[in-house]
Amino acid sequence: MDLKEEVMAALHDVLDPELGVNIVDLGLVYGVDIDENNDVVVTMTLTTPGCPLHDSISHGIRNRLAVIDEVGNVDVNIVWEPQWDPSRMSEAAKKFLWG
Amino acid sequence: MMNEANLKTDTNIKLPLSFIIFALIAFAASQIVLFVNSGDLLAGEFRLPKIWMSAHFMLLGFALMTAMGAMYQLIPVTFLTPIWNQGFGFVQFAVTAIGLSSFAILLGYRPNLAIHGAILFIIGVLMFLFQMAMTLRARKERNIMSYFIIYALTSLLLTIIFGFMLAYNLAFGEFFAHLSVLLSHITFGVAGWFTLLIFTLSYKLVPMFSLSHGFSMKWSKAALSLYLIGLISTIFSYWVELAGLRLIGFLFLFLGFGCFFLDMREILGKRMKKKLDQPFTFSIFAILNGLIVHFLALIAVLIKNNNPVLWGWLVFLYIFTWIIYSILGYLYKIIPFLWWTHKYSEKSGKEKVPLLKDLLNEKLGSFLYSLFVFSLAGILLSIALNTGTLLFIFFGLQALASIIYGMSIIAVLFK
Repeated sequence: MDLKEEVMAALHDVLDPELGVNIVDLGLVYGVDIDENNDVVVTMTLTTPGCPLHDSISHGIRNRLAVIDEVGNVDVNIVWEPQWDPSRMSEAAKKFLWG
Repeated sequence: MMNEANLKTDTNIKLPLSFIIFALIAFAASQIVLFVNSGDLLAGEFRLPKIWMSAHFMLLGFALMTAMGAMYQLIPVTFLTPIWNQGFGFVQFAVTAIGLSSFAILLGYRPNLAIHGAILFIIGVLMFLFQMAMTLRARKERNIMSYFIIYALTSLLLTIIFGFMLAYNLAFGEFFAHLSVLLSHITFGVAGWFTLLIFTLSYKLVPMFSLSHGFSMKWSKAALSLYLIGLISTIFSYWVELAGLRLIGFLFLFLGFGCFFLDMREILGKRMKKKLDQPFTFSIFAILNGLIVHFLALIAVLIKNNNPVLWGWLVFLYIFTWIIYSILGYLYKIIPFLWWTHKYSEKSGKEKVPLLKDLLNEKLGSFLYSLFVFSLAGILLSIALNTGTLLFIFFGLQALASIIYGMSIIAVLFK
């Protein structure tokens, strides 16, 4: 597994504490970029602008990725374009929320 | 694109919590005073010192202090702008809490001295308004939510101005037209300030808690405009004799509320979360109550029913089933948010942390919400049957529910 795959797999462990679904399955993660120093930039959005959990989710990402030895610095970039929409959710997330 | 630093809008948790813990104590106090004085309510008598004391503990001590605490927490996340001065916020809390407690207690025991407490309380509210004005001023971009909150805060200012005029009348004899001032004070307070504030919070929180997406909020401008026209017409009708003005006022208030209701219905219709949390459902229930009470008030004006007992109960129902129920529902969601962010945010990803719903005792919450509704139904039945003993029992149940509710919220802070 290369580092990018490892990072993506780790992000599955970061949960939205309100919904109980991880941020990858929610479709919040738009991309992961890793440079030559193994510094990681996670580009993501939130389900709604001004979501009060943005700090918690960012902490979750930093803490989870810090466990991976090869990872250098971690930066989380929050973007609002493209806007999140439910079609980005995985089937598992949709099933969990809608039953 | 923005990084995390651009999103830093944290409020020291002690600030909103100070307001909210005070509010829960005031809520229990208000219900205990109502319980002890239930006999006066059986006679349909609302304008008595002890009832004033209870009403002010409920509306100012509980609802207003909760609203202030919630705004200290939610304004930064809603408008992405930090609180202007948090130190000033703690001073404002102390001034408001001392002023409010002395004001409510003096209203109950020495109404002629209540103005002294009122002055301190008013200073506290003015400090809050100043804090909010400075906070919102920092945000240049205006949207419909900004206008909701600006008009809500303006209504709060007008409420305390009319409240001060009332206290002046009580202290020094009638100088201002007492009934007109009283009705203006109540209308600006419950319909202007609280309703517009709950509209604002609901537009933010309902989509968030239901994970709704793709809704239009197409009625929001109409909701605000119609409600404001209704508010102004109704207030004017207390001061000038103009045929049909009050009917127009209440009609527009109902239409404004109806537009808000339509938006909420659309938001919930487009939600991605099927099973909504019980506390949140209670706030949704409150929206329906608000619409019904607005409709009943419109009918009462239409048939020209000026019976003060009927209007006393309509105001009571509006305050309880719309304003208080909304707050009781939202607070049960907001406190775990606050506490989780404070205690577990930095641990997230490092160790196993609970989910927000793990901090709540949802079963107890469901039971308490049922108890609130059951007690209120019992209170109304007791009034209809004119039975003092039953009324005493149901007010007792309501007081008990409010005490357990407060304790269950405080229990979150130990998780």
